[in-house]
Amino acid sequence: MRARWLAAAIAMILTVPACSAGSTASVGGGAADESTLAVGFTAEPQNFDFTTTDGAAIPQALLYNVYEGLVKLDGRGEIVPLLAESWTVSPDRTSYDFRLRTGVRFSNGAPFTAEDVKFSIERVKTDWTISLKSAMDVVERVEVVDPARVRVVLSRPSNSWLFSMTGRVGAMFSRSGVADLANEPIGTGPYEVASRRRGDSIVLTENPGYWGRRPDYRTVVLKYYDDATALNNALLSNGIDVISQITAPDSVPQFEADTRFHVVQGTTNGEVVLAYNNDRPALRDARVRRALTLAIDRRALLEATWAGRGTLIGSMVPPTDPWYEDLSGYYPHDPERARALLAEAGVRELNLRLRVPNLPYAVSAAQVVASDLSRIGVRVTIQPLDFPAVWLQQVFTDHDYDLSIVSHVEARDITTFGDPDYYWGYDSARVRRLLERADVGTREQQLADMRAVARTLTADAAANWLFLAPNIVVARTEVTGFVRNQVSESFDLTGLRRAEG
Amino acid sequence: MARTVNLVAGAVLVGLVVLVALVSFAWTPHDPLLVDASLRLSGPTAEYVLGTDRFGRDVASQLMVGARTTLYVGVVAVGIAALAGTPLGIVAGMRGGWLDELIMRVNDLVLAFPALLLAIMLGAVYGASTLTAMVAIGVATVPSFARVARAGTLQVMSTEYVLAARAGGRSRAWIAGRHVLPNISGLVLVQSSVSFAIAVLAEAALSFLGFGTAPPTPSWGRMLQESQELLAVEPRLALIPGAAIALAVLGFNLLGDGLRDRFDPRLEVRR
Repeated sequence: MRARWLAAAIAMILTVPACSAGSTASVGGGAADESTLAVGFTAEPQNFDFTTTDGAAIPQALLYNVYEGLVKLDGRGEIVPLLAESWTVSPDRTSYDFRLRTGVRFSNGAPFTAEDVKFSIERVKTDWTISLKSAMDVVERVEVVDPARVRVVLSRPSNSWLFSMTGRVGAMFSRSGVADLANEPIGTGPYEVASRRRGDSIVLTENPGYWGRRPDYRTVVLKYYDDATALNNALLSNGIDVISQITAPDSVPQFEADTRFHVVQGTTNGEVVLAYNNDRPALRDARVRRALTLAIDRRALLEATWAGRGTLIGSMVPPTDPWYEDLSGYYPHDPERARALLAEAGVRELNLRLRVPNLPYAVSAAQVVASDLSRIGVRVTIQPLDFPAVWLQQVFTDHDYDLSIVSHVEARDITTFGDPDYYWGYDSARVRRLLERADVGTREQQLADMRAVARTLTADAAANWLFLAPNIVVARTEVTGFVRNQVSESFDLTGLRRAEG
Repeated sequence: MARTVNLVAGAVLVGLVVLVALVSFAWTPHDPLLVDASLRLSGPTAEYVLGTDRFGRDVASQLMVGARTTLYVGVVAVGIAALAGTPLGIVAGMRGGWLDELIMRVNDLVLAFPALLLAIMLGAVYGASTLTAMVAIGVATVPSFARVARAGTLQVMSTEYVLAARAGGRSRAWIAGRHVLPNISGLVLVQSSVSFAIAVLAEAALSFLGFGTAPPTPSWGRMLQESQELLAVEPRLALIPGAAIALAVLGFNLLGDGLRDRFDPRLEVRR
């Protein structure tokens, strides 16, 4: 689990806007051609190979659009069939039988068969280098039953395995198409990569041999901008048709008021967490952590930092996870009780260092936190650290902090609380046991155990889940079919439609 | 006539900044750090004369306390630069030879290194703070003081009274203290004023980039940075600190011009 920090960190940096000015020059206008769509992003892939390059940008562009897996994650967080028509699980839950879709071809013309499934899954263990590859450790062997049927045998039951198959590690590669993954991605998806201009754009064109519904937009241009303001201006000036993710929420009303655009708002997996270093003597007492949690007005914080757009959560679980339970009211804003709890814990004076990455959302939230805590007599010193390098080294790796604020964007990252070496400094035998049991247990047991984990974390005030970052997509009115909740690793273009009118 | 206008206008603007900063120690309309989401982005009202920012904090109070940061940075950065640069320039000018070469070439090296880059490096290594910004700006400004001091020293050293003093067997240190320093102090003062303006601007730029004053301490540069996302929605939040920075920099530059007109011996002939 520890090895996943880099993936988490890079995903974090990629989901926030860089605060540099200026915009990238744009290629042909978005509205020029009816079957062409231009989508604006802020984080550009450095290459096309997510098997060896970490970060959220590559799967965001390629997964589901160019590469497909056996299963995918829909906007409600449900696992649905993609290249597998159906699957059955053995009673001991260690063996998965997939029936594959037939007549599927890769964009290089090669047919997709059970051999490719075996090749792709085994290749994760042998050739991938990114930390997420550990998701396949649980796979014991892959058996080709016939060209359209494949059996995956796990070494133990694991509920997280099928879920991870919806992400990049589940992508299906052609045995004859992995020679130059960094430049020539070959998948079974509705699009293929036509060209790219580094620092500017990637052009996806329709895969003529696609097995599924033909996409409305034959060409999709993914355009990359330096910051949120440039992205907004590009949409306003018809340079693009879609903003993939709004990171400056105060700009949303100007789009809502404009009939040329519509705004789609949902949730993400990005929990913005005020981390308490549970290992610090000052914060080891749960009463102190509870007091800090009670002292912070999260509703007001969300209002101040994200213009109120976002979801209050009370634990490390977004509403799209099956074991979600609304715990946001567990610690209502109550400075009086906070002061009483501090007194009860015998704390007279408390000075804490709030060491945050120098990213706009973290620095903003830090100021609200410091102001709120000053009202219960806790002195907070804010120290912005260069992100990623300094923050990762000092806070994440060396645990040299009292408080920190960062957005945790990985799916189902509640499991990090089961790792005593993680930067939370949180060590609970009960949580560890529950997490282990949940992964091997039946679905009912998994749900019950995960709920218990979430409740335990909240009751312990293991951290303060400030809010869940919203997914806000702004698009021209005629572009519809967006995935409301951004819970998969992909910016899913496959459902996009052009409304008549 | 025009010279006096520069001096007076500069002095008034600088005086205003100093006054506001001094008053902020005793009184501000509101607590500049107190967050109140219910007052978020309110326009100017009788109670909040310059309105509130995205956290519901009073902009006027922040501006007042921000003036402190601005002056603080200016004083310390210019202090470092003047205290290090002036003696170096005097030594170089008086000794000449290899020592002069050494000092001035190192000087050129430092001059070639961008001040902001130095500050960003220091900020990355030692953590972003007002102190690292001040030190970086100060170090980067040392060469300009050294050059000015050296040029002035060379001029003074060729005067007859210095020749007389040397002939009279006075030590170098005595000459430096008695003749050189008083004669170049005007130049150094002018340079200080100009450097002050540069330091104010650099601090604003660094804070804007997130490498200067750490939040929540108010700083004009950081106010500008925080308003960046809101430029289209609430331009007031960028205009107010922007205007403050511009006026302060203008003030110090005018003051510098005015002082130069009074002190620079090279302009003496025209008077």
